[in-house]
Amino acid sequence: MSEKLLIGRTIDTGSWVHSIDPRAKMVAMMLYVVIIILSNTWLEMAYVILFSLIIISLTRIHIKYFIRAAKPLWVLMLFIFIVQCIKVDDKNGAILLSIGSWNLYFEGFKLGLFSVLRMVFLVSFTAILTFTTTPGRLNQGLEGVLKPLKVVRVSPDRFTLMVSIALRFIPSILEEAQIILKAQASRGADLRELPWKEKGKMLVSLLVPVTVGAFRRAEDLVHSMESRGFRLGEPRTKYHRLVWRKRDTIFICFFIVMLVAMVWMSGYGTGELWTL
Amino acid sequence: MAITFNQVSYEYDANSMWSQAALQGVNLHLESGILAGVAGATGSGKSTLLQMFNGILKPTSGTVQVLDITLKGGEKAPKLHQLRKRVGLVFQFPEQQLFEDTVEKDLCFGPINFGYSLEEAKDRARRAMEQMGLDLSLLSRNPFQLSGGQMRKVAIASVLTMDPEILVLDEPTATLDPVSRAELIQLLHRLCREDGRTVIIVTHRMDELLPFANQWIVLHEGLTVFQGTVKALIEQADRMESYGITIPQSIRYWRSLSEKFGWSEEDPCLSAEAMSKRIAHLVNSEDV
Ligand SMILES: Nc1ncnc2c1ncn2[C@@H]1O[C@H](COP(=O)(O)OP(=O)(O)OP(=O)(O)O)[C@@H](O)[C@H]1O
Ligand SMILES: [Mg+2]
Repeated sequence: MSEKLLIGRTIDTGSWVHSIDPRAKMVAMMLYVVIIILSNTWLEMAYVILFSLIIISLTRIHIKYFIRAAKPLWVLMLFIFIVQCIKVDDKNGAILLSIGSWNLYFEGFKLGLFSVLRMVFLVSFTAILTFTTTPGRLNQGLEGVLKPLKVVRVSPDRFTLMVSIALRFIPSILEEAQIILKAQASRGADLRELPWKEKGKMLVSLLVPVTVGAFRRAEDLVHSMESRGFRLGEPRTKYHRLVWRKRDTIFICFFIVMLVAMVWMSGYGTGELWTL
Repeated sequence: MAITFNQVSYEYDANSMWSQAALQGVNLHLESGILAGVAGATGSGKSTLLQMFNGILKPTSGTVQVLDITLKGGEKAPKLHQLRKRVGLVFQFPEQQLFEDTVEKDLCFGPINFGYSLEEAKDRARRAMEQMGLDLSLLSRNPFQLSGGQMRKVAIASVLTMDPEILVLDEPTATLDPVSRAELIQLLHRLCREDGRTVIIVTHRMDELLPFANQWIVLHEGLTVFQGTVKALIEQADRMESYGITIPQSIRYWRSLSEKFGWSEEDPCLSAEAMSKRIAHLVNSEDV
C-alpha cells in the first residue's frame, strides 16, 4: 500500500536543486503552474517540455520516479482525454474513427492529448518540490511563503504546524491500516482472498480502529510536544534557518524568463501550423 | 518436517529506492513438535522472519515451506486461509494486533473466520482467557482500555482460540510481570510437550527460555548464523557477542561449572532449580 505512495518522500541525490531555498522552490512551482496554463500551442508545449526536462535532469533523480508520481492520476487523465474526444464536434474536421453515428475527430483527439500532456507535466514536475525538499524544510518554506498572511491576522505558524502534522500522519495512518490488515489476515480474514462483497465490508470495518488509532497517536503527540515545552504562538528558536542566496534568485529567474517567453509567444501567436 | 527455509530473502519496499533488505539468504529447518527459540540483536530480522511462517510476508526470493504449503519468491502465492488456521502468529506489539471494540469480539474473530459457530467461538474465547489467567469480566471491555500486560495476554489468547498446530510468538513476555512471564513459558512448554504442537518464540530474554527450548536460531543482520540444539549453542556461545547478544547468565554459570568439574558430557542445567540440584548432588557425592 505505502509502497506506491510517492507523495512526501524525499529522494536525496545532493543535487543543486536540493540545496535551493524551499521558498524559492515554492514560488517557482507557482510560476510553473501559470506557465503550463499559458501554453496553448504545440510549439509552446514543446518549449515547456524541454524546459521541464532540463530542470528535472538538474535534480539528478531518475526520470522514472517522476513518471511514477503521475501514475496514480491515470484514471482522471483517461477521463479528461475521453471527455475532450467526445466534446469536439466540428463538422468539417478530419475524422479519425467513427463508431455508428459518432465520429472521433482529429481535433478532439489532439485536444485530448494536449490536456493529458499538460496534466502529466503539471503533476510530475511539481513532484520536484517534494522529491528534493525534506518535509521539515518544506514546512519552513511554507511558513515563509505564507508570511504575508500575517497582515490579515492569520498566523502562518499555526497553519504550517497543522499542515506538517497532517503530512506526518498520512504515512502513519496508512501504516496503522496495514498493521490491522496484517493482524486480520493472520487470523483468517485475508483481504486478498475474500470475495468482493466481503472486501468492502472489511475495508469499512477498518475505519473505526484506524480512526481510533489516529486519535491515540494524536493524543500521544500532543502530550510529548507539551512535555517538551511546546506552546503554540510562542517565539521559538529555529534549528535550521533559511538563508536566501544568489542561487535561489537564479532558480526563480529561470522560471520568470520562461513565463515571460510564454506570455510573449501567446501574445503574438506563433503561426497557424502550430496552433491548436 | 514442519518448516523449511531455503535461501530466503526479504526486502521491505522491494523494487523501489527505499528498499531495505531485512533477510538475506536464510536457511532453516525445524521439525514439528519442537520448542524453538529465536534470538538476535535489535533489527536482525526476527520479526520479519516470523511473519513469513504464516505467509503474511512473502519471500522476495527463495523458498519457504510451511507444513504442506510452499511459497516461492516471485511467484503468486497459493490460498493461505488453511495455513493461517494451522499457524498462529502473535505480533510483537499486541496493541497493533487488537482491532475489535470488545475483547470477546476480538477473541472470536479467528474462530468465526475459520468456520466455527458463534457459540463455539465464545466457548473457545472463554477457555483461552482462562489459559492466559485473565479475568472473564474483561471480556466486555474495550481492548484499548486494558493495561499493557493485559493487552499482551489478550493478544496471545486471541491466537490460542484458533487452536493452531504451530504457534509463533514475537517477544510474548516483553511487557509481562515476572509471575505471568514464567506462567506463559510454562503454558507454551505444556502446549508443546503434551499436545505435540510446534512452538517458536522470539525472545531477548534467552535465560527464561533456555531450560525449555530444544532448538535455537540466532539471526545476525538478516542471516541465520546459528541453528542447533542448546548443547551446540553452549559450545559456540563465545561467538554470540559478535552477533550483539550477551551470553545468557545461565549459560555462563553452566560453562564455568562444567569446565571445572568436567560435566561437558551431561545435559546442561540451565534453570536455577536444575542448577541447584546439580550442585547439591555434587556436594553430597564428594567430600567437601
Ligand atoms: N515496515 C518496514 N519497512 C521498512 N523496513 C523495515 C520495516 N520493518 C522492519 N524493517 C527493517 O528490517 C530490518 C529487520 O527488522 P525486524 O523488525 O525484523 O527486526 P527485529 O529483529 O524484529 O528487531 P527487534 O528486536 O527490535 O524487534 C530492520 O533493519 C528494520 O529497519
Ligand atoms: Mg521484532
